[in-house]
Amino acid sequence: MLIRTILIAGAFAMAAVPAQAQSVEKAPPGGTYKKVSELVKLPDFLPGMGTLYVDPATLPAGPFLAYDHDGRLASTIYMIPVEDIQGQKKFDNLKAAGGKVDHVDMYFNAGHPGVEKPHYHVVLWHIATADEARVAK
Amino acid sequence: MIGRRTVLRAGGWAAGLALLGLPPPAQAEGVAEEVVEIRMRGNADGSAVWFDPVGVLVEPGQTIRWINVDPGNSHTSTAYHPANGDHPLRIPEGAAPWDSDYLLPDQSFDLRLTVAGVYDYFCLPHEEAGMVGRIVVGHPQGGPSAATLPEAARQRLPSPEDIVRRKSVRIG
Ligand SMILES: [Cu+2]
Repeated sequence: MLIRTILIAGAFAMAAVPAQAQSVEKAPPGGTYKKVSELVKLPDFLPGMGTLYVDPATLPAGPFLAYDHDGRLASTIYMIPVEDIQGQKKFDNLKAAGGKVDHVDMYFNAGHPGVEKPHYHVVLWHIATADEARVAK
Repeated sequence: MIGRRTVLRAGGWAAGLALLGLPPPAQAEGVAEEVVEIRMRGNADGSAVWFDPVGVLVEPGQTIRWINVDPGNSHTSTAYHPANGDHPLRIPEGAAPWDSDYLLPDQSFDLRLTVAGVYDYFCLPHEEAGMVGRIVVGHPQGGPSAATLPEAARQRLPSPEDIVRRKSVRIG
């Protein structure tokens, strides 16, 4: 019974993973992810973050996948409205498809099209601090 | 109604004339003052956004030009008017509302206001962050009350008297 459950779970994982896992490291991530600059009026490349993709159904929290100029995944970003933090809102099971995390940044953002409310960016960097220059501008 | 307000978009017909090598058209109503520029700005990490200057004094009919100089964000110049998302009326009675729509970096928007008075405007995605501005046209008395503004916006707006005295008021 246990083995059968594991086999079934394994089969599901095999079916579900390839579309997600193999695709996010290079832009475009595919699946339900859409380029943010095609969803709202924002520059294609955002200095400090890169080119963003998001599944619109997950707004505002994301994850947003941020790519450098060569289409390499640089970070996964969550955007959490300050009023939600003040309201003690729970964010559960946010997706994290980007793999290994090198370090994390959190900083305030005044808002932008797509996430208009003042919010925090929670940035899971998949690259070293020194390599953040790749998305600086 | 025509002539009360003229809106030229960046890359619009004026730029088209320039491409054709033609001089820009003479301004209506004999107004020849210089263009008053208002920059839409943000700091590097996007934690602060503002109009610079936040308050300007202009003559009736003078061209006001908003330019987005923030490389990481889009901004709008949108009049406080019920026509713009049910916002309170904070421009003179009878003056036409405006909305630049989203300006990407380096895009601009021109506007001319002919009705004297105090005009308040905001940036659509950044009103809550306090990105608001005030224009005084001519030399009016008083201005809209601060009561209907979000707190962050209220703190930013200089008084009409201050704008008249200093002509241009910057943040910080
Ligand atoms: Cu703005």
